[in-house]
Amino acid sequence: MKVLVTVKRVPDPETTIRVKSDGSGIETDNIKYVINPFDEIALEEALRIKEKLGAGEVVLVSIGDSVVTEQLRTGLAMGADRAILVGCDQDLDSLAVARILAKIVEDEGPQLVLMGKQAIDDDANQAGQMLAALLGWPQATFASEVVLSDDQQAVKVTREVDGGLETIGFALPGIITSDLRLNEPRYASLPGIMKARKKEIKEVAAADLDADMSPRLTINSLEPPTQKEAGKKVETVEELIGLLHDEAKVI
Amino acid sequence: MLGFQPDDEQQLIRDTVAEFAREQLRPLAHEADESGVFPTSVAQQAWELGLVQGTIPEAYGGVGAESSAVTGSLICEELAWGDLSLALHILSPQLVTYPVIMLGTHEQKAQILSGYIGPHFTAGTAAVMEPRFGFDLNELTTTAAQHNGEFVLNGTKCFVPLAAEAAHLLVYARGDNGIAAFLLPQDTPELTIGEREKNMGLKAVATYELRLDNCRIPASSQLQGDIQPVFNRSRVALSAMAVGVARAAYEYAREYAKERRAFGTAIAQKQAIAFMLAEMAMEIDAARLLVWEAAWKIDTGADATREACLAKNYAATMVLKVTDNAVQILGGHGYIRDHPVERWLRNGRGFATFEGLAMI
Repeated sequence: MKVLVTVKRVPDPETTIRVKSDGSGIETDNIKYVINPFDEIALEEALRIKEKLGAGEVVLVSIGDSVVTEQLRTGLAMGADRAILVGCDQDLDSLAVARILAKIVEDEGPQLVLMGKQAIDDDANQAGQMLAALLGWPQATFASEVVLSDDQQAVKVTREVDGGLETIGFALPGIITSDLRLNEPRYASLPGIMKARKKEIKEVAAADLDADMSPRLTINSLEPPTQKEAGKKVETVEELIGLLHDEAKVI
Repeated sequence: MLGFQPDDEQQLIRDTVAEFAREQLRPLAHEADESGVFPTSVAQQAWELGLVQGTIPEAYGGVGAESSAVTGSLICEELAWGDLSLALHILSPQLVTYPVIMLGTHEQKAQILSGYIGPHFTAGTAAVMEPRFGFDLNELTTTAAQHNGEFVLNGTKCFVPLAAEAAHLLVYARGDNGIAAFLLPQDTPELTIGEREKNMGLKAVATYELRLDNCRIPASSQLQGDIQPVFNRSRVALSAMAVGVARAAYEYAREYAKERRAFGTAIAQKQAIAFMLAEMAMEIDAARLLVWEAAWKIDTGADATREACLAKNYAATMVLKVTDNAVQILGGHGYIRDHPVERWLRNGRGFATFEGLAMI
């Protein structure tokens, strides 16, 4: 079974993000980059599927300039078999990303595409859904459990939805996006890092894919969230309820 | 000619180990220190990182990854940043595997290394130190006398980590031609493992006294060749760990000083504290550069005894100064066991005694 996993390069959630003074973006000096944590979870799930079946191929795909190779190497060190880097140096919105991925899927023909539910940089949460629509494939977003059928022709996915869990099933090929509780990704191992050296990273130019990358979304400006003000101390429960009702207007 | 940028693979190894140290070692460190019990599951988790198996040559069932001392020092710094006790336990197999990889005969490699490539954590250990005043690595009192094609070992060793569970022990002793190392299975007769020692720091690492009483071992147990490169490698690894402990203390004290307010400003804004923090940062970087230079020289294959000794001496003094300053910056809080800095001070104190005094 061939599984395609998408990998986005994002700032390390451990680093402090600072917005540029002119609001045009974030300060990128001294920022460490990692694989989007949700993509890492998707990759872990793909590796577990392959290990359970004892056969198959896990292919990574990322879009960006050559620095993205770092994240692809990390994914290969975790155990993916090979990687595709779609070379592109322009900013892309979710639809453009989905259109590029659709071309890669057509070319690779995976039975399953595993993606993070969203990237932690822009939190768009759209590429997976858009890709499913473009391909006309079934989708299961916010997955917290994935069970492959014995004949490998279908999956059952438990989704984290408002108010509980929902289990849906569909025939493959399809798209699954991972939620936080799907699994705990493994660490790359020293032997894995050494083996990754020999694994292939195929480079494809985005411009050669004949995908419509024209932007539909422009970012006008970014601003940091307002500083949280110090809380208020109240003497009585009545006073608290009064404030929640009159001032905060939440009850 | 000069460059301090790790290559892509070294960077990935360092990032992975740093993440492991932050997510797995740090949260366990306090409890392990308080209880004196090593959390065994973390040894298995660390084993799966393949730090030990990865350096064993392919011919002996390993992965044959490079065993660069520079990469090793990056790993040691990050693990020790997480916790020194846990790091020493996790890396204990290398006390056996590295010397065997470096000096072992084909038979020794085949026999010993095969024990360290399995799916489960396997402890190893080395018996270096001796319980006497003025211990000197080059003047061991444990002796190895040749007798009828055998060696007869006599002496007492101390601070032998994990001796009770190690599959193999590497015992350093004085033979006819100077200091040599001997491989002993743990169940060797006339080898007595004493009570677990009670140490000032490193409370989660079980260390033992060891007695060798006319302990007879076959001649083939000796590692052949110059033992100095093994010591140098170990000095560099320990120094890198000292850098890791010091960095942990420095970062904690720095963040504390930015938060803690006195007289209307953060104490980090006070010159007395700011100068202290700057001094700590300088000392750590200086020690790291000595470590990296020694490691680099080891990797060139040249004799690195001088550089390794300089690094060890400097790092052992540095870690004490930096961790002590960290305790000072936290003020009264630094002395309380709820904050980790006093643990780093206690653990860091050990570097001046491990494998011989700081000045050796």
